[in-house]
Amino acid sequence: MSEGTNTVSENPIHASASEGSRKERLALWADEHLAKLLVIPTLVLLFSMTFYPMIRAIEMSMYQYTAGQRIGFVGLDNYVNLFYDSTWRNSLMVTAWYVFLSVTVQFVVGFVIAVLLNRKLKFRGLIQTLILIPMILAPTVIALVWRLLYAPGGLLDFIFYPIVGGNVGWISDSSIALYSLILTEVWQWTPLVVLVMLAGLQSVPDHLKEAAVMDGASRLRIFWDITLPHMKSLIVLILIIRVIDSIRVFDKVYILTRGGPGESTNVVSMEMYRAAFEFTNWGAAASMAISLLLIVLLIAITFVKIAEVKF
Amino acid sequence: MATKPETDTPVFETPGRFEKLYNEYEGTKWSRVAIYGGLSMYLLWTLFPVYWMVTGSLKTREGLLTFPPQWIPLQMEISNYVVLFTQRPEFWRFILNSMIVTIATTIIATFLGACAAYGFVAFDWPYDLDFHLPFYILSTRFMPPIVVAIPIYVIFRDIALVNTLPGLILLYVMFNVPFVVWMMKGFFDEIPDSLVESAMIDGHTHLGAFFKIVLPLAKPGLFASGIFAMIITWNELLFALIITHSADAATLPVGLSSLITQYTIQWELISVAGTIAMIPVLIFAFIVRDELVRGFSMGVDG
Repeated sequence: MSEGTNTVSENPIHASASEGSRKERLALWADEHLAKLLVIPTLVLLFSMTFYPMIRAIEMSMYQYTAGQRIGFVGLDNYVNLFYDSTWRNSLMVTAWYVFLSVTVQFVVGFVIAVLLNRKLKFRGLIQTLILIPMILAPTVIALVWRLLYAPGGLLDFIFYPIVGGNVGWISDSSIALYSLILTEVWQWTPLVVLVMLAGLQSVPDHLKEAAVMDGASRLRIFWDITLPHMKSLIVLILIIRVIDSIRVFDKVYILTRGGPGESTNVVSMEMYRAAFEFTNWGAAASMAISLLLIVLLIAITFVKIAEVKF
Repeated sequence: MATKPETDTPVFETPGRFEKLYNEYEGTKWSRVAIYGGLSMYLLWTLFPVYWMVTGSLKTREGLLTFPPQWIPLQMEISNYVVLFTQRPEFWRFILNSMIVTIATTIIATFLGACAAYGFVAFDWPYDLDFHLPFYILSTRFMPPIVVAIPIYVIFRDIALVNTLPGLILLYVMFNVPFVVWMMKGFFDEIPDSLVESAMIDGHTHLGAFFKIVLPLAKPGLFASGIFAMIITWNELLFALIITHSADAATLPVGLSSLITQYTIQWELISVAGTIAMIPVLIFAFIVRDELVRGFSMGVDG
């Protein structure tokens, strides 16, 4: 390992270290190994809290558990069972639909709002600050607010009364509950798309647009041929981030529906939570965890490959 | 526009003419109405639920679900705030636990992350490790937390960390360090090497120069990543729910979620607790607005 700075020899402490006190020798030793000393605590922590648990999860997924007690090695049986488990398959479908719909709506709405904001406006700074609020609030708190809004006879029922003429089972009707969850997710995370896309729109170099204006290009043409290509990698990245973040949704589902009614909102995190902590079926839960990890990896790699994004 | 470099100006002799051309349709009255209308609607939609919870904490339980709704609280039931803590005294504990865990996590994660980031920025590592390791560190943020939550529960049970504050802090430090490393790396990159070199000629050790020169210069970065870690920790539910099961270690989000499991939902108390949970993040978030966006988008908005 070669140290970045080569001026150490001129340092009086380093020069006198051989005959120096214990303290000075310690200081010299610390400097010599500084790079490792600075980095190792973090690496050890991350290794023991992410890498090691994953290895444990792989191990757990190969055993059968009853009431939290390991009873025997079953190899890949848990994975095979998972393949035929209709509850798990349903939870994958529910999650896929949740992620697809909420990210699409967030992106479309967020982009439109960003385009609207990308001009000289009196209160732009204020708006940019205020729309931060949903994303900094705890998903738990947000889910509680929305549960109040969705409550029978609550505000949303009042607003929709003239159209529907009665209460809507926002979170109690199995054909509607998932869409109510998606609405909550969209509410919380559209602002992030707005702010990131706005930053992207503002990063398009003016001279490109000026040249296009000189050539007589229309606004739509400029947007399509200059702005969009310039923002391509930013768009892909915000989509990856939102997709990967929405796959992990738990808090909102836990507070709003607990996966119900029936299994209509039983997303993967909820299903794994129940397998592990309600049915203490650790083997099955661990095999779900590993499968989910592989799925997330696959999605991330696909995205990066498609867009040739460089981090 | 004001900072447009000299070389660009020959395109248009009169400053400001370009904006006029490009933003032409802002000139028409109807489009301006549409833009302002659209933005106002979006702002209303974004802020209303927050307003609804805060004002809800001042209504009676019946007042929360009246038909038509009480747009403005009628009787200002400030007593709700007292009722929450007399009916559910454990909420004091939840808030205290949340504060301990949040403060400890923020300090430890920011410190560890800043150290690691500097270790990667200031030194050349063999095999390009100063590129690969930060990338590995960041990639752990892509992993769904539930994936490690299950084995971590088992590991914590074996070493008696379940339902303890240190266990929770350890988990949250792991959760926040990747972001701190990534963010601080950007800040350290901008500090010139010559500052550290001259400090070392003056007789500081490299470690001393890091603490006395580099860290004070990176204060805005430490501040921003600290607040981001604070918000994430204060808000987290999944790990807290799994690792804790009593008021000894349960945090405020766990307390909040326990209010919903009761047979009758005490909406006025939920609104009170929710409002209390909102306050700290709202205060801190606005100080570091731009860095927050970078944090939530994992450094994309660079």
